Amino acid sequence: MAIRVNPGFIDVLDRFGAEDVQLCYQCGDCSTVCPHADDIFKFPRKSMRLMQMGLEKRLETTLEPWLCYYCGQCSEQCPREADPGETMMSLRRWLISRYDFTGIAKQFFKSKAVEISAIVIVALLTAAFLLNYGFTNGSMNIYDGEGAFLPSSFIHTFDLIIGSIMIFILLINAVRMWYFIMIRGMDIPVPWWLYLKEIFELPWHFFTQKRYAECESKNENYIYMPWILHLGLMLGYVTMLLLVMVFLEQLQAGPEIKWTVHIFGYLATIGLLAGTVYFIRSRFKKNYIQYKKSHSTDWVFVVMLFIIVLTGIAQHIFHRTGLYEYANITYVIHLMAVTPWLLRMPFSKWAHMAYRPLAMYFAAIQRAAYARQEAIIDAHPVTIK
Amino acid sequence: MRTGVFFCQSDDQWDSKIDAIAKYSANLPEVETVQNMGVNPRLNIENLSEQIKSRNLERVVIAGDMPGYYKPAFTKAMASTGGNVDEVRLASFQEHGATNGNTLDRAKAIVACATFGVPFSLAAVPGGNPVNPSTMVIGAGIAGIQASLEIANAGKQVYLVEQTGTIGGHMAMFDKTFPTLDCAACILTPKMVDVGQHDMIDLMTKSKVISVSGKPGAFKVKIKRKALRVDIKACVACNLCSDACPVKVESEFDAGISVRKAIYIPFPQAVPNAYLIDEEHCRYVLTDGEKCGVCVRKCPKDCIYLDEEDKTVDIEVGNIILATGYDLLDVGKIDQYGYGKYPNVVTSLEFERLTNASGSTDGRIVTKTKKYNRKKKEDEWVFSSEGLPPRNVAIIHCVGSRNKKYNAYCSRVCCMYSLKFAHLIKEKIPGANVYEFYIDMRAFGKGYEEFADRIKQEGTFVIRGHSAHVEMKGDQMVVRGEDIFNDKLVEFDVDMVVLAVGLIPSPGTEELSRILGVKRDVNGWFSELDYNGNPTDTDRGGIYVAGMCQAPKDIPDTVAQASAVAAGVLGSLTSGKGVGNMSSLPLSEIEARAKTIHTI
Repeated sequence: MAIRVNPGFIDVLDRFGAEDVQLCYQCGDCSTVCPHADDIFKFPRKSMRLMQMGLEKRLETTLEPWLCYYCGQCSEQCPREADPGETMMSLRRWLISRYDFTGIAKQFFKSKAVEISAIVIVALLTAAFLLNYGFTNGSMNIYDGEGAFLPSSFIHTFDLIIGSIMIFILLINAVRMWYFIMIRGMDIPVPWWLYLKEIFELPWHFFTQKRYAECESKNENYIYMPWILHLGLMLGYVTMLLLVMVFLEQLQAGPEIKWTVHIFGYLATIGLLAGTVYFIRSRFKKNYIQYKKSHSTDWVFVVMLFIIVLTGIAQHIFHRTGLYEYANITYVIHLMAVTPWLLRMPFSKWAHMAYRPLAMYFAAIQRAAYARQEAIIDAHPVTIK
Repeated sequence: MRTGVFFCQSDDQWDSKIDAIAKYSANLPEVETVQNMGVNPRLNIENLSEQIKSRNLERVVIAGDMPGYYKPAFTKAMASTGGNVDEVRLASFQEHGATNGNTLDRAKAIVACATFGVPFSLAAVPGGNPVNPSTMVIGAGIAGIQASLEIANAGKQVYLVEQTGTIGGHMAMFDKTFPTLDCAACILTPKMVDVGQHDMIDLMTKSKVISVSGKPGAFKVKIKRKALRVDIKACVACNLCSDACPVKVESEFDAGISVRKAIYIPFPQAVPNAYLIDEEHCRYVLTDGEKCGVCVRKCPKDCIYLDEEDKTVDIEVGNIILATGYDLLDVGKIDQYGYGKYPNVVTSLEFERLTNASGSTDGRIVTKTKKYNRKKKEDEWVFSSEGLPPRNVAIIHCVGSRNKKYNAYCSRVCCMYSLKFAHLIKEKIPGANVYEFYIDMRAFGKGYEEFADRIKQEGTFVIRGHSAHVEMKGDQMVVRGEDIFNDKLVEFDVDMVVLAVGLIPSPGTEELSRILGVKRDVNGWFSELDYNGNPTDTDRGGIYVAGMCQAPKDIPDTVAQASAVAAGVLGSLTSGKGVGNMSSLPLSEIEARAKTIHTI
């Protein structure tokens, strides 16, 4: 099959943050030092080559970008300062935009003006909707129960609707990802039972991010542990999402604290706060190579999350101390940030959360499939006389 | 002659100085029109002939960095008006060394010469200064030796100044030369002996240029000659002093893989063939004569004078040749290869000494053995003849070269000497495996490609893909790399790793450039006047560059350049024109000369 070459591909990727790809002269130093490169998935050099050649269709079907956790060793080592680590990051952004069937992700990554204005518009619409509802149905001075400004049952429904939209889009994108990688990207047959055999990979990588830790294990500085912070951030986020989606009515009830639910909330908040503060600080200080370059979407990501966490905490404190008016105001602001945040998820860096474990899962299946193929070939040697 | 000057040059590179040059050229006699055409790849020929016709131009001058590009268009236009096409003249800034906005006067002079119809090189001959017939050569490696011999053989006096105790430089350390696999010493040592015995060569070893004054053609040079402390005429190199000397120092000549004494001869064929005192380590010198002095007592010729003092000599020379050579990049700062950490990771120069028949292992390629150092009270890894030969050797190319963190440039010789190493290993250790990790194979010279082919056919594993990683797995050294052609990540168990380390200018280059007023390029090498047209001159008249100190090059190129330099020097001595500074030539002088030549 002929491969389509897109000579302008480099310029496209430039918008996603891959600025230095052309500097690469294919020495392979990056692949050599990468703790994750192995016999089947060789990167970053190979990905760099595909990019230089403009093999867009081939890149679309590769898993490699998802297997990289950006420890930055390749960029530190690179003799050409072509920044392979950042290039892999940019490829992930590009892949997110390719998996996305709506085309919104592409616009967001390419232009920060589009992204930020979309966020602002959604936030303002949310505010208008919530204020309208609050002022017609309730009072500013009541936080929960009868006549509340934003009653928990209403917000619960609201959350569920927003969450369903998000999950719907994400699911379609995940199916597209599967199609690209497992159907178009595989030249050997993959039996269906391999999908079942390797299924445990999915939760395993989702909850441990084990490969991220492997990245860091090579780092000699033990205090430098972005893996723990990253994992804390992610687990905190998932816990919080679950609490809000399922247990919102218990959370919003009464000034007294319901420990059975709230204890999880507090733990999640610690994870979220520590993570966001650490990553914002790192992006400002640029103290490690992976934080040297920040794409506009990276900033939107951490800053928005930080706003959400802060308003959430403020709202919680106001509520528990009886300042219902303030609690309601912060609640509106909180939701103004949460709504675009959730809607933006399938089009943004947060989609990592779904794609990464999926990629590990697919990688495991591919490995098993290749091993099986080799076994078949070994068992039936072809002799040419 | 009615002349039109056309500037075909964008203003950007010239910081808007084209206007100033244009204004200047408008005031030149017989110039009818001056026009700035900018950079326009497709000139309108009809328009041009229209202009030539209406202004009745007899001569057209095209000025710019690359005016030759536009010549066909102007020639056509000139021909169509019936003019003389020979009168389309070029004023090329680039060709005559006015390449940026700083050399405004030079550019003006170039335009002036073209409008007068006089070749720039004819009008702008630097010189006039009478030339002192003696020449100083700084650095006595193969370049310095070659240039000295060429000049001395023509009957002119040469002062050969060398910082170390012997001439020969790096080439004397090599075992074989690529691609012919000739014995390096067999080529070099006869030349060294010639230098030592030549009547016209005044050899100054352990000497350093400390100041240079005067002008091209008549330089006054101060040279600090370190005390030799041995009468080199009387010394018969019997080695008794060295046997008695209690001090042990790492041998520079052996790239640090063996030890020598504080009184020593760098290698048996050294010129001058006499023992040297290393005053930085000699116990007698360090204690001001209170301790030791055993060599003086042992010397049967009584030719050691430990109290001799340094002296300064003044010489006057007409020309100076720079041949200061190179040094290896400090590979200690590139930590991923484990140099200094793992015993059997060696640099190219160390390996060169190891494989050399005159080296500490008599040319046997061995891995290091552990030895107890009684003085330091710890085990040390050293090369000794009892060592085991390595079964697997990895050679890693481009260590520090073509790397933006260290040297952005290609060191030019590493590919070839690495291939040579592969051959030597396979020749000396039958059945050994050699893995060459390369990025791009630079086999560009005469016979080089064939040599590379031969090495591949000898069964060397030539792997396209750099290795960035050497580590220990238990007792076994492992090199990890990417075999790009085979699309595999590979790991090889090896016993020895040879690093093809990049080259840098020798450490004294900066100081010397300050003393002599010679420019250096961004990488620190001496700058030549013009890379294509004048690769041996510097922008200071009467000072020339030869060999590695200008840029990395192999031995054939170095020898060729050294001979070319000698030709330049001899030319200045015999032509009677004298020498001078190209850059110091004032505009008015060039203009005046152009006018006189014009009238003739």
